[in-house]
Parts: sequence; structure tokens; C-alpha cells
Amino acid sequence: MEIVFAGFGGQGVLTSGLIVSEMALQEGMNVTWMPAYGPTMRGGKAYSVVKYSDGPLGGPDMEDMDILVAMNQPSLEYMKYMKEGGLVIMNSDNVADDVEIDEKYDSVRIPCMTLALKVNNPKAANIVAIGAMIKKCGLFEEEKAKEALKKIFEEKGKGKFTAANEAAFMEGYHSL
Amino acid sequence: MKKMWKGNHAIAEAALRAGCQFYAGYPITPQTEVGEYLSSRMPELGRTFLQAENEMSAVYMIFGSYACGMRSMTSSSGPGFSLKQEGIAYMCANNYPAVFANVQRWGPGLGTLDSAQTDYLRDTRGGGNGDYRVIVYAPNSIQETVDLMYNAFDVAEKYRNPVEIMSEAALGQMMEPVAFPEFKERTEDLGWTFDGTNRPHGRIENPEKPGFVRNKIKTMEENEQQWESYMVEDAEYIFVAFGLPSRTTRNAVEQLRAKGEKVGLIRPITVWPFPAKAFAEAKGDIKGLISVESTDAGQLIEDVALTAKKTGHGNAPVYGLFSGQNIPKTKEIIEYFEGIKAGQMKEVF
Amino acid sequence: MAVLTTPKMVSIPNSFCAGCGHGLLNRLIAEVIEENGYEDKTIITLGVGCSCNMNHSWNGDKIQTAHGRGASTATGIKVARPDLLSIAYQGDGDAYVIGLAETLNAAYRNTNITVFVVNNNNFAMTGGQMSWTTMPGQKTTTSEAGRDPLVTGFPIKVPEIVAGFDQVAYVARGSVHSAKEINNLKKYVKNAIEAQLHNEGYSLVEVLAPCPTNWGMNLEKSVAWMEKEVLPYYQVGTLRERTGK
Repeated sequence: MEIVFAGFGGQGVLTSGLIVSEMALQEGMNVTWMPAYGPTMRGGKAYSVVKYSDGPLGGPDMEDMDILVAMNQPSLEYMKYMKEGGLVIMNSDNVADDVEIDEKYDSVRIPCMTLALKVNNPKAANIVAIGAMIKKCGLFEEEKAKEALKKIFEEKGKGKFTAANEAAFMEGYHSL
Repeated sequence: MKKMWKGNHAIAEAALRAGCQFYAGYPITPQTEVGEYLSSRMPELGRTFLQAENEMSAVYMIFGSYACGMRSMTSSSGPGFSLKQEGIAYMCANNYPAVFANVQRWGPGLGTLDSAQTDYLRDTRGGGNGDYRVIVYAPNSIQETVDLMYNAFDVAEKYRNPVEIMSEAALGQMMEPVAFPEFKERTEDLGWTFDGTNRPHGRIENPEKPGFVRNKIKTMEENEQQWESYMVEDAEYIFVAFGLPSRTTRNAVEQLRAKGEKVGLIRPITVWPFPAKAFAEAKGDIKGLISVESTDAGQLIEDVALTAKKTGHGNAPVYGLFSGQNIPKTKEIIEYFEGIKAGQMKEVF
Repeated sequence: MAVLTTPKMVSIPNSFCAGCGHGLLNRLIAEVIEENGYEDKTIITLGVGCSCNMNHSWNGDKIQTAHGRGASTATGIKVARPDLLSIAYQGDGDAYVIGLAETLNAAYRNTNITVFVVNNNNFAMTGGQMSWTTMPGQKTTTSEAGRDPLVTGFPIKVPEIVAGFDQVAYVARGSVHSAKEINNLKKYVKNAIEAQLHNEGYSLVEVLAPCPTNWGMNLEKSVAWMEKEVLPYYQVGTLRERTGK
């Protein structure tokens, strides 16, 4: 499984990758997470690539992705690495309505920022997107996903946001 | 349970587990996190972190400390690691151990911050003046980086020779699950180190003795080769790749095998000494060797061709897929292979 | 009755040229180390240049480092063995030209090491080239018409720079050109070494020394030239007193 979270710097796409990595890790799978760093980060672009599998993993960078979570419109440039039949989840608050996605891909539009604001957690648009992705693809069980989410923030010393983050997650989860 | 660790943090923690007491270094992307991590962790453990004024000063600080037997290391990247070469040559001249980490960036001069393997020839051939070799490990995962670093000090002390962990920008920046070994400490006196009493150090004299350098290199070559072979035994085409490209190459081998192609992979774990023994194990009728590397001009390919000649596969054509600033993608490797089969690719050697 | 003894840490004869100032400084350093009972607890880092000659005549523990990296090497030794005396022994080309960064930065950090720099106004080991300490008008093999300071800079005064740092333990400049200055130098050497032994921090002693071979003068003329040209510019004395902290 190859998932790319992409957006502007500050949209939490690195953390998104870490949260999903933790979910895969808890399932006992091999995981690799790679952030955009150095030159790729210039101009405010950010992304992280998560790959997980029962078997050995290939390279850490994007090459044949199953899912792209595009938190903004420029992130759609990575569609060139999308597998046929892959899924793109667009944050419709930052992607124009007239943007068309090729029919060979599956796509959904979620107003991630709007939904995050709805639960008074404006920074959690990335978590809304994860909720939607997990519901759509059935990647991990809801409870286990929430556990991983909690753990990542607790390790960062941000345990007090657990309830707010779970609310954002569920908002995304129920948006589909 | 394993935890996700960033490569650069993991290499630093592994060094501490291995008993590293002193780190001196200078910041340079993409390895800066090694020093950052140690700057807070080492004082916690009662050890010494020192931010040096430049790369040369850092290397001579550990030249001095390891002369006294203290497990010490430095790390760098690109032009910074070039600056350390003088000190590495001095360590070899004096038979001092030391541990280095080179988190490679792409290119000559300032280069770029992209992941690459363009320091291969410099690091495997010594890099400084004179005739010497450094044992160079090229891990392809963060867990392997940790495991190799954990033994690096022991190997360096065994041969009284510098040891390098040759990482790559992406391997330093990415995260993977890691389990760490327990803390260890060498307590016994190495016997030759400087303690103020002017006991024999076996230093300047040795390299000047006829045969000393050659014998030392030969012993390390004989004992320290490490590699991983994958489906090599009956392979007609053997890929050779190390570090991150070895992972996409392995995927390519799996996919090609599924299509019935007799392909295999030799993954050097030590890039010096180069694992000639792995080539000797290949018994198939080899129609081609394919070096897959993140370089522009082709560097690993020189060792592939030389080793093929040494191990009786000298007639096999040697091809090279050089991906420059990128890790070669599995698809590209498969396409390249199909090009070879179709007679569209020209061999390099 | 006073008995003239030779310190155990130096061999006589040594490999220095006739009239060279290194031998005298070697002896003074050895005396102070032995007076402190540190002959088996000292590691001296030798720079590249005429300091290399001490590989044959210095009987204590010694590490030959690279050109200019003496202070860094001595720093590493001190990290590994804070219980030992760590001395960097260098020439002016080594410490003030190629190794200026390492010299100043070790001082800047107030590393607890002692640095001795023999200043003989030229690159002596390589046959007398211009150094940053070469005097205006002084002829060397790379300044054959005499050094033009407007083109190549005025002689560098590193001890004065270091003495201006916020925290260093002890800085002095001495000379071996006269009996009186040799006596004073012994005090500087003693202070520099004892500063380290008392964990006071970085100490530096620059030592003005004749180089008859490369100056193309006999010793008598060399000393006269030092008195006329070198000493008025490079004034001897303590530049930073110990505070005992």
C-alpha cells in the first residue's frame, strides 16, 4: 500500500503520514515513511509518503501510489505516480470545483477544513481527510485507527487534543 | 514493540548503544539531525558532544580522542565529508579506529540535497592521499543501519581502521520501525592507546613496513565481506544494487521472476570490501550483470565489472542503470531490463 | 649545591639545526612537566613543520597530527583523558596560517588545553618561505624582495587576538633570545601548564625563536636581528593573567 499526503507546509501532511504509519505498525506490518525535505520543500510544498506491507518494502519515495490525499490543488501534480484504479481524496476547500480527474481513477471530494471547523478543531483538516480515507478504503478498523491517532499525539506531548482529534477523525469518517 | 525512527536519529541512538562516548561534528543537510540528536542525548548519558568550527577540526578531535581509545565518531555529507578525508587518511596512517557516517547528498561541489550514491568511488577507494581502505557499510533500511552501526566500533577497533556507515539522504530523512539493541560498553584497554606513559603504539612504523598495508587490506577483504543474495543461484541476469536502489531492484526482480525471467539480485552490504564471494556463488550461465545505482556517470558498475572478471564471469556484458538524483523506480528497472532483452541497451563493459 | 640535570623527556642531541630555538623551549616544557610530576601523564600533539623533529627527541607520549590541526587534536585528547595534560606544540605556519581557524576556535571555546607556538617568522621546515609572522622587508624564498606588508599583510599577532576573547585562562609571549627572557619564558610555560592542571581553561604561549638556517645568519646576527626587528613589534610579556578561575 502506497499513500501520499500532500499539501502546503502547515497543513499537517507529515503528521498525516505518521498517523497512518502508526496504524500499520500496530497491525505488525513493515512500514516506511518519507517526508519531502530540502529542495522539494521550497515554495511551501510538503508531502509525506507512507508504504506498508506484510512483505519487504521497496523504495521510500512515491512511485506507484494507491491513494493520494491532496490537501491543495498543486498536490494533484503527483497524480502522475498514481496506479490505475487508484484513489484521490481532494480537500475541496482548496481544490477548485472544475478540476477534473481522469476516469481511470477513483476520486472523492471532502471539505476537510470546513468539517474541521465544524468540530472546533481548525488545525485538524488533515485528520478529517484520514477519517474519510479509512472509511472509504476500509484500511484499518475504526477503533484501532483512533488508538494510533491518540498515540501519535500523546507521544508529541499533545495528549490533551485527543478528544478534539477524534472528533475531527469521526467527522471525516462519517462524511462518506 | 518497534517504534518509528527517523534514519538520522536512529544512527545516532545506535552509536550511543554501541558505546560511543564522543561526537564532534559540523551541521550539513541532510545529516544535521545526527548531531542535533546527540547534542541533547549525550549530556544526558554523561558523554561529550562538541560542535566543531569546521569538518577538519571535528575529524581531528576524534583522531585525538580515539588515539586515547575513546569510542568516538563524526558524521557529514557531500562537501563536508570531502573535508574529512585528510583526517581519515591520517587515521589510516596511524592505525587509529574511528567511526564515520556519511549521509550522501547528490553531486560534486555543493551538490543538491537529493538522495544519491555519488560518493561511492571516493569512499570505497579511501578518498584521501596514500594507499588505504575504509570498511564501508551501505545499509538499505533503518533497522539495518542500526545493526551495522552497533557493530561498527568493534570492527574499527579490531582492525584499527576507520569504518564508515554510508547512508543516503532519503535513508536519513525517512522513518521505519526500529528495535534497538541494549547499551554496551567496551571496558578493556585496547593495549596500544595513548595514556601518557609512552607505551608502544605500533603507529607510524607499521604502514611503512613492506607488505603491511597490503596485508591489512587483504585480511579485511577476506573477513568482512557482507552481502545479501536474492534468487541468484540459477539467474541468467544478475542485478547489483546497494542501499535504497536495492529495494526497488528487489521488487523488480520479484516482478520479473513472476513473469518467468531468470533474474537475481546481489546486494552488497559492505561496498568495501566488495562482496566478490557473492559473485563466486552465482553458478548460472550469466548473460548479463546490471548495476542499478543513484549516480550519473556510473560508479558501482566499475566494481561489478572488476568483480565479474575476478570471479570467472568476465565474459558477461555489464549494463548500468544510473538514476542520478533519484532512487530508480521499480518500473524503470523493469523497463530497462526489457530493453536489455530486446537488444536495445548497450553494455558499459 | 645546584646540580645541572637534563629533563628525562628530552633527548640530546636533537634533530634541530644549530642555533634553533625549539630545543630550548622543549627543555623548558619538559622541566615544568617533570616539576609537576606529569612525565607519565602528558600527551603532546605535534604540529607539522619543525615540530615534527620532536618525533625523534621528545621522550614523552606524542601524537603527530596534520598541518594546522594541533588544537583540535589536543582537544580530542583532553575529551578522552581529562586527567592527562594535553599540549599542542606547533610552529607559526602551522598554528597561525593553515591552522588559524583551529587555533582561534579552541581558544574561543576556552578548551582546557595548552598551546605552545614557536614563532620564527618563517616556514622553516620547507626551507624558509614567508609566514604570516614574517617581518616587513624580511626576505624569504617566497618574498625575495622582502615582505611587502601592503600586499601580503602585516605580521599577525594571534596572542593579542586571543587575549581579547571573553574567556581564556592564560596568554603570554616569550622569547629564547636572551638568558633573561629564557628565565621569564620558564614562568610563562609554568603558568600555561598549571592553568590547565587547575582546569582554568585555554592557555597559549608564543615563543619568539631564531632560525639561523633559514634567516641566513649566524646565531649572533640572528639574535641581533631579533632585538632590532622582531622584539619591538612582537612585545614579550603576559597578555592575559591567570585569575585562578
